[in-house]
Amino acid sequence: MIDRKKLLSNTERVSQNTLSRYIDMIGDHALQFLVLGGVVLFIFYPLFCVFLRSFHSADGFTFSQYAKVITEESTALWRSVFVGSFTSVLCTILSVVFSLFISTRRGWQKIIFTALLIVIMVSPPFVSSIAYIQLYGRRGWITYNLLHLNIMPYNQWGIIAMQTISFVPINALMLNGLLAKIDRSVINSARDLGAKAKDILKDVVLPALKPGIIVCLLLTFVRSLADYGTPAIIGGRFRTLASQIYIQFMGAGNIDKAAAMNMFLLVPSLILFFIYRHFMKKMNSNSSSRRQDAHLNLPLHKSGVIGWLIMGIGLLYSLIMTLQYSSIFLSAINRTGSKIFSFTTEYIEKVFTYNASTLYRSLLYAFIVSIIGSLFAVIFSYYVERRKVRFGSVFDCIATLPYMIPGTCFGIGFILAFNSAPLKITGTALILIINMLFKQLPTTTKMCAASLSQIHVAQENSARDLGAGRLAVIKDVILPGMRPAMLTCFIYNFTSSMTTAGAILFLVAPKTLLAVFKLFDATYTGEYGVASVIASLIIIVVLLVEGLVFLLTSYLEKHNVSGTRTYQKELW
Amino acid sequence: MYLELEHIKKSFGDKTVVDDLSFSLEQGKLLCILGSSGCGKTTTLNMIGGFLRPDSGRIILDGQDITEMTPEYRPVATVFQSYGLFPHMNVIQNVTYGLKFRHIDRKDAIERGERYLDLVGLHEYSKYRIDELSGGQQQRVALARALAVEPKLCLLDEPFSNLDAALRVKMRVELKKLQEELGITMVFVTHDQEEAIILSDFMTIMDQGRLVQMDTPENIYRNPSNSYVSEFLGLKDIVWGEDGKIMKVIANEKL
Ligand SMILES: Nc1ncnc2c1ncn2[C@@H]1O[C@H](COP(=O)(O)OP(=O)(O)O)[C@@H](O)[C@H]1O
Ligand SMILES: [Mg+2]
Repeated sequence: MIDRKKLLSNTERVSQNTLSRYIDMIGDHALQFLVLGGVVLFIFYPLFCVFLRSFHSADGFTFSQYAKVITEESTALWRSVFVGSFTSVLCTILSVVFSLFISTRRGWQKIIFTALLIVIMVSPPFVSSIAYIQLYGRRGWITYNLLHLNIMPYNQWGIIAMQTISFVPINALMLNGLLAKIDRSVINSARDLGAKAKDILKDVVLPALKPGIIVCLLLTFVRSLADYGTPAIIGGRFRTLASQIYIQFMGAGNIDKAAAMNMFLLVPSLILFFIYRHFMKKMNSNSSSRRQDAHLNLPLHKSGVIGWLIMGIGLLYSLIMTLQYSSIFLSAINRTGSKIFSFTTEYIEKVFTYNASTLYRSLLYAFIVSIIGSLFAVIFSYYVERRKVRFGSVFDCIATLPYMIPGTCFGIGFILAFNSAPLKITGTALILIINMLFKQLPTTTKMCAASLSQIHVAQENSARDLGAGRLAVIKDVILPGMRPAMLTCFIYNFTSSMTTAGAILFLVAPKTLLAVFKLFDATYTGEYGVASVIASLIIIVVLLVEGLVFLLTSYLEKHNVSGTRTYQKELW
Repeated sequence: MYLELEHIKKSFGDKTVVDDLSFSLEQGKLLCILGSSGCGKTTTLNMIGGFLRPDSGRIILDGQDITEMTPEYRPVATVFQSYGLFPHMNVIQNVTYGLKFRHIDRKDAIERGERYLDLVGLHEYSKYRIDELSGGQQQRVALARALAVEPKLCLLDEPFSNLDAALRVKMRVELKKLQEELGITMVFVTHDQEEAIILSDFMTIMDQGRLVQMDTPENIYRNPSNSYVSEFLGLKDIVWGEDGKIMKVIANEKL
């Protein structure tokens, strides 16, 4: 039994010796400094460098770079705006249609179309462009072999089409989230009251999508503005500002001018970013967390012409996507340029002889980014959301910036910021890993913040109460509690690291070439077979890793939930 | 006195939540803070536990000024309203968590943890995961966890509010027995008049951040200091047990 005398004498206390107390305090501050300082150093500072550099010339401060951009690059500037606007409108319409199409599927159709969406989401960039050239190019399977046409597809319409179909899935996913929030009972009772499906579409569904549509328009415009890969590959002589920056950068361009050109991308992106944040808040505020059917009970085939149109376009888009992926996988094993299918392992062998190390390196970096990135995101959001550090919202805003920063800006910013002592890391693996980590931070911190609200403050307080210092709280309460969020972050980090070009093409060095770079390089130089092999490998590897992580989590969950002990009723 | 609060004040923004609160408590006694929801009970408890810093005033425990001490060094342990159990640890890991920081070796810690689990009637449950327990069992784990660090003062914030009525009555009796047996000093927060009257050695009645009356339940019942207290208590009668303790309270008919 408990010895009452001894209990009341209260002998053991948490040692209040100053050393361990200071270690805890210093550790806590160091960790906080690390995450907050990291965000400032690796997001804010590079952008600030671009800003400063744009006013730089041999004899000091100047606006001449801006004047140069306006006179020399005005064509590219207008082309960017033209492509951006066109893509943004087209892509938003297609995204709304496709999300309605997906959300109204049920049963096996739902499985098939969701699977298609997943494959698209894990795909590397430029696959649309590669497939486009293979199918509709000068020697395209469809245009040349099938229709005997000899057309030049390297122009603005190609860019707009490729950007549009590539940006649809991510937009559709976001819109699906909104559709899932629509109260199913509103739809069902409206139908009871005799509303036709097309009225429901007009009166209930579209109004609910409105903030999402605005966000789509904004995001797509910025993505199009920032995309330098597509125009570089299939734009031909039609160059947008972003592709012009990349092409000039590769050809030993003028970095002062490149900085000024980037400001023309950065400023509109930032303005749109703040508008986006405003609408995002609105979208999140009117959320209902009620559990309900995932599928929208709205029979499209009974919704008149509009319904049929949505079905038709949804199917057509899915068909185009299927064609695209088939063409990528086939191009990997088919001799490029052959009229009929001619099997070859040439490209696969080529990739494994010359590019195997690149693939391993990509995998290695992606794993490093995933592990450090998830930890970083958890700790960052803990300090900002839970500990309410001073100026937390400013740090949060900085951490969200990379979501909208064009890759050209982020890339050139990193080169400007980290090309001299004491922080000379250009050309190393470190700069790539850091860049990927911070590029992905906006999404991972969002995931962590959402999950953090599930950990009750009483858990933290209990730990402190029982004697845990601040670091012990992070180690014993926050990190274990955030395990599910960290897995989600891991998957996101891994997929993005394997499939995003972003600033990577600016930062790779001969010793740190990555698969995405090789993919771009092969596409750019017309080695479509090799490009297809790399693209296919990336897709397969990412799907494999995601599948493994998924299996692992469900295995762990199963083992936890159905323990050997069954629930027993109250004993007292 | 063992525990003393002197002129404690706390506001959030321009809203004063606890206003010039003073009281004291002898060692080994149980004090109930009774008041309607939102009157500042949790805020008061959080200041005693070290989770909030009072704007002014002092808190003294066993002759030591603990006002500025952070929670991990305070010889105080809290049972939170939502328990705050660690879901990723099993029962015994939860109960022995605080012993990690007191340089007690693992074997002794587990032994002690099991003794306290025994005390709350959960000795068979030491390897269970938290979500395998019922609400009442979780409540007891939280209590065992707080007691296992053998604090000078134990704080309980509406610990029974998530339990059903029958279980609440049972837990009440057990808690009182445990507290008397071990001679632990406790501050217990509740908005339930009956719970307060039956558990307390002393009772304070709070209204809008101020202390209205502090005395033994019996004295408060006999001499409510003002009409607020008598109306808030709403007592018609008290049934006394053979040992001279309050057994049951009979409330006025609610309108
Ligand atoms: N962190 C806080 N910020 C602002 N107001 C608070 C905070 N915590 C509590 N309050 C307010 O203080 C008042 C007292 O709260 P609380 O101590 O939780 O009451 P009780 O526990 O008695 O129900 C409430 O009106 C509550 O809204
Ligand atoms: Mg309370």
